[in-house]
Amino acid sequence: MNHLPRRTFLADLGMGFTGLALGAMLHRDGLAAGAEWTPPNGQPHFAPRAKRVIWLFMNGGVSHLESFDPKPMVTKYGGKTISETPYAAVQNPARLSLERAMAPDANGQQRNTLFPLQIGFKKHGESGIEVSDWFPHIARTIDRISVVRSMWTSDSNHMAQTQFHTGRNMLDGEFPTLGAWVHYGLGSLNDNLPQFISIGTREYWNKKDGLYLGPAHDAVPLRIDPQNPLDFGQPQQAFSREAQAIGFDLVKSLNGRTAIEYPSDPQTAARIASYELAFRMQRSVPDVVDFSQETAETKSLYGLDLPHCKEFGTQLLAARRFIERGVRFIQIQHGGGGAGAWDAHSGLQANHEKLALAVDQPIGALLVDLDRRGLLDETLVLFATEFGRTPGSQGSDGRDHHVFAFSVWMAGGGIKRGFVHGATDELGFHAVENRHYVTDIHATILKQLGLDSHKLEIPGRKRLAIDHGKPIDAIIA
Amino acid sequence: MANARKQSLHTKQVTAFFFFLSLVHGNALPAGDQLRVYNDQLKPLLAVRCFSCHGSLKQEAGLRLDTVEFMLKGGDSGHGIVKGDPDASLLLARVSEPNPALRMPPEDEGDPLTVHQLGMLRAWITANSPTDPNEKPEADPRDHWAFVPRVRPTVPTVAVKSDWLKNPIDAFISYVHEKNNLVPQPQADRAILVRRLFIDLVGLPPSAEELAAIDSDTSPDWYAAIVDRLLADPRHGERWARHWMDVWRYSDWWGLDEEHRNSQKHLWHWRDWIVESLNRDTPYDEMVRQMLAADELYPDDPSKLRATGYLARHWFSWNRTQWLDETVEHVGKGLLGLTMNCSKCHDHKYDPIQQVDYYRMRAFFEPYHVRLDVVPNDMDLKRDGIPRVFDGVLEAPTYLFVRGEENKPDKSHSIEPGVPAIIAFKDLTIAPVVLPTVAYYPERQPWIIDAQLDAASRAVELAQAALTKIVLALVAEQQTLQRLAVDPQQAIEPAAESTVVPHHHAQAIAQTAVDSLELEVGVYQRAVDIALAEKHSIERRAAATRLGWEVSDAVAPVSETVQERMKQTAQLAVQAERELAVAHAQHNLAKLRLQLLRTPADKKEVEKAIDSVRNELEKARSAVAEPGELFTPLKLIGAKWSTTRFRTTTADDPPLAFPATSTGRRRALATWITDPRNPLTARVAANQIWMRHMGRPLVSTVFDFGRKGNAPSHPELLDWLASELVDQGWSMKHLHRLIVTSAAYQMTSSSFGAESNMGLDPDNRLLWRRDAMRLESQVIRDAILAFSGTLDLTFGGPSVPPTAQADSKRRSLYFFHSNNDRNPFLKMFDDADVKECYQREQSIVPQQALALSNSRLVHDAAAQITKRLHAAGQSIGGDAGFIAQAFILLLNRSPTKDELADCMQAIEGWQKLSSGETLIDANHRAHTHLVWALINHNDFITLR
Repeated sequence: MNHLPRRTFLADLGMGFTGLALGAMLHRDGLAAGAEWTPPNGQPHFAPRAKRVIWLFMNGGVSHLESFDPKPMVTKYGGKTISETPYAAVQNPARLSLERAMAPDANGQQRNTLFPLQIGFKKHGESGIEVSDWFPHIARTIDRISVVRSMWTSDSNHMAQTQFHTGRNMLDGEFPTLGAWVHYGLGSLNDNLPQFISIGTREYWNKKDGLYLGPAHDAVPLRIDPQNPLDFGQPQQAFSREAQAIGFDLVKSLNGRTAIEYPSDPQTAARIASYELAFRMQRSVPDVVDFSQETAETKSLYGLDLPHCKEFGTQLLAARRFIERGVRFIQIQHGGGGAGAWDAHSGLQANHEKLALAVDQPIGALLVDLDRRGLLDETLVLFATEFGRTPGSQGSDGRDHHVFAFSVWMAGGGIKRGFVHGATDELGFHAVENRHYVTDIHATILKQLGLDSHKLEIPGRKRLAIDHGKPIDAIIA
Repeated sequence: MANARKQSLHTKQVTAFFFFLSLVHGNALPAGDQLRVYNDQLKPLLAVRCFSCHGSLKQEAGLRLDTVEFMLKGGDSGHGIVKGDPDASLLLARVSEPNPALRMPPEDEGDPLTVHQLGMLRAWITANSPTDPNEKPEADPRDHWAFVPRVRPTVPTVAVKSDWLKNPIDAFISYVHEKNNLVPQPQADRAILVRRLFIDLVGLPPSAEELAAIDSDTSPDWYAAIVDRLLADPRHGERWARHWMDVWRYSDWWGLDEEHRNSQKHLWHWRDWIVESLNRDTPYDEMVRQMLAADELYPDDPSKLRATGYLARHWFSWNRTQWLDETVEHVGKGLLGLTMNCSKCHDHKYDPIQQVDYYRMRAFFEPYHVRLDVVPNDMDLKRDGIPRVFDGVLEAPTYLFVRGEENKPDKSHSIEPGVPAIIAFKDLTIAPVVLPTVAYYPERQPWIIDAQLDAASRAVELAQAALTKIVLALVAEQQTLQRLAVDPQQAIEPAAESTVVPHHHAQAIAQTAVDSLELEVGVYQRAVDIALAEKHSIERRAAATRLGWEVSDAVAPVSETVQERMKQTAQLAVQAERELAVAHAQHNLAKLRLQLLRTPADKKEVEKAIDSVRNELEKARSAVAEPGELFTPLKLIGAKWSTTRFRTTTADDPPLAFPATSTGRRRALATWITDPRNPLTARVAANQIWMRHMGRPLVSTVFDFGRKGNAPSHPELLDWLASELVDQGWSMKHLHRLIVTSAAYQMTSSSFGAESNMGLDPDNRLLWRRDAMRLESQVIRDAILAFSGTLDLTFGGPSVPPTAQADSKRRSLYFFHSNNDRNPFLKMFDDADVKECYQREQSIVPQQALALSNSRLVHDAAAQITKRLHAAGQSIGGDAGFIAQAFILLLNRSPTKDELADCMQAIEGWQKLSSGETLIDANHRAHTHLVWALINHNDFITLR
């Protein structure tokens, strides 16, 4: 019982993966039953193209029709019902059957009267990809981006936020998010910082990421406030760094010993990992969110001098600084709590214009900044949302939830530059060409990170084929 | 115009529909395919669009559409469908009806079915509506487990492992184990059990002494003895109050800065009522009744009125609907496990609750408002007062809001209070409550007048004290003057040279001072006279007021003697007031005389004023004897309505009187909720209590027992616990005792040696071991203070304000806690969200490690604990002895050999870091660090 090789055990924790990995250690040493399963060792399964991920998620549902998927026919037939257009077949019931409503309410309905596009589009860059005029900064970086216009999901309400992160409809229960899988699968690039960070509000879905992978794989929520980077960030009484270090070592080894008495206790393992990290975060996090070393040019690139961009710009500049220091996965939610700000059931024009203004410049800046620092090659940036919005109008000036088609884009990390993949029909109603379920995005990201999700599977937690998804090879450079 | 356009659209739609129809007819599918179409597409479509009104939940127009059989049978208007004859099928006619007023689904329930959907329906009917021969209707919501009456289940007989059983709870759990091939884990060690009981029942860890005493207890009843002791401990009420404060949404007031907008000031009275009630084992049903309606049930009992803080907490100054929405939502979720809030805008999509039920529930609360009642020992409502509810607007109508929109009330009729039919096990009787006088004339509470009398007496004492002071000053000055007269040289103070005063001057100055002081004494004397006259006037007016109340309360006609008495009392009151006027005039005169002396320059004006005051005085004197019965009423305030700003946020609404009756609506609701036949109340409460003991609820959706919630993991156990609760007089202590003395409670939380169980039920859903629990934020802080010996166990009283919390040693439940103010340390450990907290989160984030390792709270505690251990002679055994004692104190167990070695090594490392301090100091510091490390141990914040 006491022969657990402490050195190995601690080294394992130092790698930053715990929880079941800890249980796995016990397996490996014959301390627990069943030795047929090999847990991840922190190394990629094959040569990775990307090392890090910045996951930008717009809460509420960005209109694909007014961002990255222009559909002139929607404007042309504006005011007519879909059945009056030549494209009436889009509402063929068989084609609507993938929809699974989680909580039927006044929203998430079929909207039949076409609502003209609320903003113009222009072609940009050498690739000539069309981007709406609400996103001029992203448009300027379009030659770094692969747009996927053929996404679909199934939850016609905002639990689709969860679905995008876990790959599962909430009717099926709760499952680990992609960030948790990456955290579970890969070792740390920097032991001084959390490897999985969540920034921004995520109210509409469970605040947990790890779920059956264990709480050690939950994202560490950080608030990016340079004035107060970390509560209780320093000892409030004299306690030298050396004395503290001995103390943290002792806490770790004592907690490790109870992990033997209480095997398969993910809480203990998560607690151990949280102490490891806390000790180092005290110094490293304030440093990351201290922008004093950034040039004025960089700060204004991110829009820190503009009131409407400041909050999101600060988060993205911090994201770049975290990435530089080797943070593996940063998940940034934009649009606050509740259903999410992008949920434009009415007043879509004013809503999207205002929100785009807040995110467009910082996102453009992030791509430019990562690229010029040589970080973009190994950093995969995703821009996503839970679903698209209906071609038909809700009320006089809004669009409803739309699960049959929406757009996301990726850049960096071995993704093609200036490329469009997939297409929707003339009304942007259905994804018709190279359709992709949300887990295809997961699979693409995992592939670029050198991971095979089948190999990450846990005994007793069989995943479905659709959970694993298929990488979108067409957009991989 | 809009209609015309719509009409034309529909015409076009219908045209397109017939066009499409021809396509469908042209490509008619074989029957097998039509069956597939029905199962895969049509039925799911009908489920989403139609079932909530035409299914098991509701049968609008007598029609159900959840099976083909029902469709064929049809409803009030005839057959829903006719096989093979779409044109004779009403269902098809209604869903393809061009007139939106007649079409189904109704206009506000979303867009009409599409042409394609209609075509599909027609084709399926044409193909003779194939369905599965054994098509099952939707489950009847009346059969839903939580809505059916609770019947006390029989305790199952368990074949094996009967030696494991300690009480019936274990039989239920064991029964499930047996069916699932699970083997329960053994009992935990005694020290673990003791810690569990202490934390669970009183929210504080056992002290080293308590632990040692229990450890040496060889009696077989040792466990039951601790349980009894802890349940009787007053700290038990504090511990469990915090649980119920989560569920019942306790929050101190908040607003914008100083502007009060939410909850109530002094709401701590309700918190104290919870603590006291739990300690007295006030039955759960009685607590709920008092919280909802103490003002109707016990209108003259201020102690019980505190309970209505539960409703006073919902107070929101700006919007009545938001206020009542929260009330309805949380009465539903917290007391009934019903998501009533889902039926605000439309009928509930899962539960048999109609939209009108939401407003019926609101109607119970429609009349209620909030006020602060003056408490006996403090008249100032800014400092104290009891927040309580009362029915303020008895006739307030409740209107259904169309689609839940506040600006669209359906004023055609007002909605009466009522409960959803599914749980209407009896008729609701609502009878108005005639209130006792003190309820609507709160100034008649005896302490209101008493407080004025007390204040008057205190004023007399103050005036007398001031007089004594000035008299002493006069005496001192007179003595100086005398000394100067005897020996002028001597009397001069050896003051600084520059201020040396010639002696003849000194004498003159002293004389002036004496003259002035003599007049001043006169002024103070008159001030005493005023205070006495004021007191006298209050006494006389109080007597007259009380007599007036007595007379007005009397049923019998007023006799002549009483009339005479009233007259006399009133005359005396008037006389006393006039005497007070005399005293004031005399006081003014005395002041003017003093002024005349002090400022001779103003002589002219002052003399003029003196003449005028003399006149007044004369008038006042002669007025005393004149007849008169109209005295000035005493300014009595017994309560203050908590002013709302519903009309405009910039001005108070017109004041509200306190009515002499209450509608009795809340009393009726409370009676219904707490009726033993209510299927939900006891189940919801038992589930909450179980969860807080065991770390996991039996129904995981603790606030939703409806059809969208989760089914209980152990339905019979839940019903048995609920029955125990009700049958034992709703005694919560009874339920606590049952649960903590069960074998299930006493199992180890370790899964060691339970590989088979792990394989079958890795998440411990079926309770084959205990769940380890992360301590709640309050328990963590309280335990740290308890160990350091600094915990202040003072009971009750006003919440500790945020600015005083850093230095306060009070238990955490007493900390001011609102939406805006949350203690930074407690916040780190998933503190209760005041808006909704039916179950605490148990997160693990690095920020918690920072709070435990860096906070002053922990560092101070480490130093104090070390000092205590040393003082108790615990360092006698050297470092090893200290480590062992620190383990026992903080983790309630001895260190293993390896743990000891780890600690020794760390202590050695710390000692080496010494920079010139003495060996003793270095040693002490190392021990302090060790204690710090044990507070940071996972087992410190975990209940194993």
